[in-house]
Amino acid sequence: MRNRFLLVLVSSFWIGVIGCTVANRGVITEPAKQDFEIRIYEVLGMDCPGCHGGLEKLVRKIPAVQEAKANWEKRQLVVTVRPGAELNDEDIYDAIGRANFTVGKRIK
Amino acid sequence: MKRLFWMLYVVQIALVLVLSDAIAAGISVDAGLTPAEDRWILRTQMRYMERDDDPTSMNRKMDRYTLNIVLAYGLRRNLTLVLKQPVVHQEISMAGSTSKDTGLANLSLLAKYGIYRRNTPEHTFGVAMTFGLELPTGADAFTSETWDVNSGLYMSWRRGSWASDFNIAYAWNGLADESSRGTNPGDELSLDWALAHQFSIGGEAEVALAPVLEVSYKNIGQDRLYSHDVADTGETILYISPGIKFTKSSLILEALAQIPVWQEQEGSQLKRSTGGFVGIRFMF
Repeated sequence: MRNRFLLVLVSSFWIGVIGCTVANRGVITEPAKQDFEIRIYEVLGMDCPGCHGGLEKLVRKIPAVQEAKANWEKRQLVVTVRPGAELNDEDIYDAIGRANFTVGKRIK
Repeated sequence: MKRLFWMLYVVQIALVLVLSDAIAAGISVDAGLTPAEDRWILRTQMRYMERDDDPTSMNRKMDRYTLNIVLAYGLRRNLTLVLKQPVVHQEISMAGSTSKDTGLANLSLLAKYGIYRRNTPEHTFGVAMTFGLELPTGADAFTSETWDVNSGLYMSWRRGSWASDFNIAYAWNGLADESSRGTNPGDELSLDWALAHQFSIGGEAEVALAPVLEVSYKNIGQDRLYSHDVADTGETILYISPGIKFTKSSLILEALAQIPVWQEQEGSQLKRSTGGFVGIRFMF
């Protein structure tokens, strides 16, 4: 009885949360790379798949950023610059700091 | 995406089945690292605690289910605010009869401050401290009826796929008494050491699985009433806790079994049995 109670309660909650997550997840279409400037930065301190989401959120708030994608295994942040916009590296470095990571070098 | 959804569901069912007879403390890996600024974390845990092995002839037994709902927000890069509300369901058996009760436990407000953080290509090291306040909800049997203060120091170290944490926390219970009984609950000291090893799954660095092993020591002092110790209160426990943490981008599933390897209770209290929890964290 106890096991069933737990099973039903926790299953229902997780199905709901995961289902909503899956349902709300939009399809991100890759822009044609030749139309955008791509910058790649080394980021130190990202150690798990859950770590880099906070950094991506902060970088995407920068007006000149079209898209940001971090990879914790490669320790890289890939930034797509909005066409016609001027992206200051200092804004990216500030976002990396506010995400509690450390700026390495600009790779590209 | 559908395949991932069903895979997560199967993992969750397996964890529930394995750990439905357990109690636990939270997985403490990364406790010394504060989340990014403007990061929200919604966390729920379903815990189970069982107490039995009655030293008296009353054949008492207690089952407690706690649903912890936690909301955290990264106000600054080194300052996180946390709100926690446990909901408790408890069943107590004694001499053949069973009583059941459900209600809110203490509401916790917590601030976590990152004191130090060093990120290098080889390792990550962070130290954080917490300062928290527990407020009595006043509604039912699960609230402490006192205002309690707690503080902790958390250290996290990561090198490659290995992670280790050491945490120490102390709770000063009963600083301001809301009850007419005047009982001052015993203070609590907790020490915790954790080791984890992370395996990356798939090629896009989006999924990871981390087995965890924790060793925890907890000492709860005796309650005091009119400068005298209250009988049948206070205990010391040493746990070994194997667990697992599954991370998929902004979603973390975690489970921990807590096995008491040594314990000592004052008076005729029930012993703690193996317990555990399953939990989910959603970050946005």
